[in-house]
Amino acid sequence: MLLPLLLRPSFSPPLTGCVRGLHGSSQRTLLSQCEHLLRRRRPASRLPTRNHSRKSRGQEEEWRTRNKTVLTYIAAAGVGMIGLSYASVPLYRLYCQATGLGGTAVAGHDTDQVETMKPVKERIIKVTFNADTHASIQWNFRPQQTEIYVVPGETALAFYRAKNPTDKPIIGISTYNVVPFDAGQYFNKIQCFCFEEQRLNPHEEVDMPVFFYIDPEFDDDPRMARVDTITLSYTFFEAKEGQQLPLPGYSYN
Amino acid sequence: MSTAMNFGTKSFKPRAPDKGSFPLDHFGECKAFKEKFMQCLRENTFDNSKCRLQSKDYLECRMDHQLMAREPLQKLGFKDLMDPPPSQEGSKP
Repeated sequence: MLLPLLLRPSFSPPLTGCVRGLHGSSQRTLLSQCEHLLRRRRPASRLPTRNHSRKSRGQEEEWRTRNKTVLTYIAAAGVGMIGLSYASVPLYRLYCQATGLGGTAVAGHDTDQVETMKPVKERIIKVTFNADTHASIQWNFRPQQTEIYVVPGETALAFYRAKNPTDKPIIGISTYNVVPFDAGQYFNKIQCFCFEEQRLNPHEEVDMPVFFYIDPEFDDDPRMARVDTITLSYTFFEAKEGQQLPLPGYSYN
Repeated sequence: MSTAMNFGTKSFKPRAPDKGSFPLDHFGECKAFKEKFMQCLRENTFDNSKCRLQSKDYLECRMDHQLMAREPLQKLGFKDLMDPPPSQEGSKP
């Protein structure tokens, strides 16, 4: 009867409500009910009172929403990181093209430049030659001069010699390397013997020329200021039937 | 060389030659010119500037024997070795 009144939350402690309900009707039953209520309440007095419970419930809700926002931010950051790692490949490529790092910038050279370029006589560069063969090819391959002194802007000729000492024709294909790598972009070959299959008959010996020049802009590059020696290295491999080597931009029939 | 997986280090990127590949001189038709060129280099301590005439001769031999595409020598950087027009002074070798 009056118990629902007592159990309803209100500001006054339950006892006063209990006391109020003591006028009139059977005090005894109400008193016992109030005592029962108090006894029930006492062990549960550990819990915060009505004021505190309200504040804690509000706080809990606040914490919950805050946790949710933090988790959302963390999840968004995680997804963002994954997306960035995927996007970094084309972005890096763009960055390299814009700044010219990573060796992608090539000193602009075209065939007309050979005609118009002026040799830079003050800068003498020593070009050394190196010849290598892959273990499986039996050619004797060596340069005919160990070094040559050139100046940027002047075309130069150099020779290699290859001999096939075996009794069967061998087809070789070569690639080259220029050290230091940075100088490689200034090293322009007009004509050489690389990237194309060269067939040597049994016991044949041939001279292989390399016609090249060093770009005159080599002298203007501050990174090349201390470079005095460039090494050109050729390596011959045996060309096997049907095997297509992935060679840079050079098509042969 | 370029097989190392070093991210960020520069690697060498070979480029194809401008005019392609020299056909092999199987019959040694221009061997004499080559010998002259090598002799000149040995005499001049391998200074290329002093042997440009011989290299020009070698390339002309190649062109004569169909071992090289015929091209005006100016395009090969031998402008200063060409015979000067009558109005100009002789060029330096």
